[in-house]
Amino acid sequence: MPILLRRLLTVALIAACLTVVVAYQVTRPVDVAADPRVFVPSPGFYQRLPESWQTTVADAYWLAVIQYYGEHVNGDKRFDSLPAMVDLVTTLNPQFAKAYFFGAFAAIDAGQTPWGYELLKRGYAENPDDWRFPFYLGFYIYNFARNSDKDVLAAQMYEQAAKLPGAPDFVSRLAAILYGKGDEKAKAVRMWFAVYAEGDEVARQRAVDELKKMLPTTAERRDALDRYGSMLSQDRYTTLQEGLMGGQK
Amino acid sequence: MSRVVAIARNTFRETIRDRILGVIVLFALLMIVGSLWLASISLEQEGRMMKDFGLVAVSGFGLIVAVFVAASLVRKEVEKRTVFVLFSKPVGRGEFICGKFLGLCLTMAVVMAGMGVFLFGVSWWVAREATPALLLAVVLVYLQLVVVMAATVFFSTVTSTVLATVLGICTYFMGVLSHNVLNLTDVAQNDPVLKGVAWALFVLIPNLSAIDVRGDIVNSAAVDWAAVGAWSGYLLAYTVVVLLAATAVFRRREF
Repeated sequence: MPILLRRLLTVALIAACLTVVVAYQVTRPVDVAADPRVFVPSPGFYQRLPESWQTTVADAYWLAVIQYYGEHVNGDKRFDSLPAMVDLVTTLNPQFAKAYFFGAFAAIDAGQTPWGYELLKRGYAENPDDWRFPFYLGFYIYNFARNSDKDVLAAQMYEQAAKLPGAPDFVSRLAAILYGKGDEKAKAVRMWFAVYAEGDEVARQRAVDELKKMLPTTAERRDALDRYGSMLSQDRYTTLQEGLMGGQK
Repeated sequence: MSRVVAIARNTFRETIRDRILGVIVLFALLMIVGSLWLASISLEQEGRMMKDFGLVAVSGFGLIVAVFVAASLVRKEVEKRTVFVLFSKPVGRGEFICGKFLGLCLTMAVVMAGMGVFLFGVSWWVAREATPALLLAVVLVYLQLVVVMAATVFFSTVTSTVLATVLGICTYFMGVLSHNVLNLTDVAQNDPVLKGVAWALFVLIPNLSAIDVRGDIVNSAAVDWAAVGAWSGYLLAYTVVVLLAATAVFRRREF
């Protein structure tokens, strides 16, 4: 083959490859819809590793859980693999309290509150000295249980939480209020304030959304802030005020 | 003793000039970028992630430096033929191995201290979650690496630099996963040979996971420091035994 022809063929091949690569890279889809069903390995796969490595794997999966939740909460709202992912994290690191709480609130979005309740129960069994588990269990029972005596069951949980070290004062007051025969809506509002006081970003956003639904008028919201604002730290009070009032005082 | 100190001092100078402190700079950059990234994606778990992945990075960077430097430490002296000059003076083989090893330990102490202090500082800056226990965890990582360095020095006296490096890295991972070796016997329950091999490996491999407190530090759980102290003593004794073996092998070498 003549040298000139060989060179021409080489240049043509390079140009064709470059064209294909550039054309694909420029036109490839920017937003690919995330799959709600992802592969989640069994915890047993990692349980032969030393404990500290299991903790690291759990932390790496925690980042994956956050990403998964973020991709779907603003999109298709499907969380098919969320329970398996959170179960993996909490099985590998049973002391990772935040993962249980996050899972419990994400379960509300996923429409899987029975799983959220079981998750909190498992977390409480693993961390019996952490007041937040009975606190959130009480909240869960009050909001999602169908028992006629759910007030009493929730109050019992709050009582347990109040006895544990580090529990804020408002937990025992919540228990007392639930034992009483007060206004159901007022009880629920107070509980969402408690969740806002202690919850993470996801729980706080959920609390704002629920409070907005329960308190449709500005006057009601202002009244709730006046009544229950003392449960919150100054920072949380300010952010909740902004969330509920949208900048109005 | 003064000869050991002189060799250690020279080894320290030689290795520290080897742009090894660049590892600390790289680690620092990684931590800064990592902390900014983690702060945005970990849902209020920055402190936890910083501690966990920070300690993993300290172990990883430390392991790479320790093994690569330890593997070439003795071999380089032989290849450059400086060992002939050294042994023409009244320096024993044991003193040579011991001095080289101590110099390397000093270098690694500087590297680990740099990374540890930086990890502590960034954890404090990002999440206000740094405690002295975090620094102790770095010290324990250092102790694990001391054992690995001793093993790598031993391998470097009997084999090539590349193979010593590979075996050094294997020693670390086998040490961390040592409790799994006995599980091998579950695979072949009636095979006495396999059982014997697994048992021999289990006895030979240092139990590095015994002083791995990363999980407790990350979970802010209480650490049984008394037990960790006892295990540290065991690992130091293990190091001495390996160095004695390295000296015994090195004594048989003819130059």
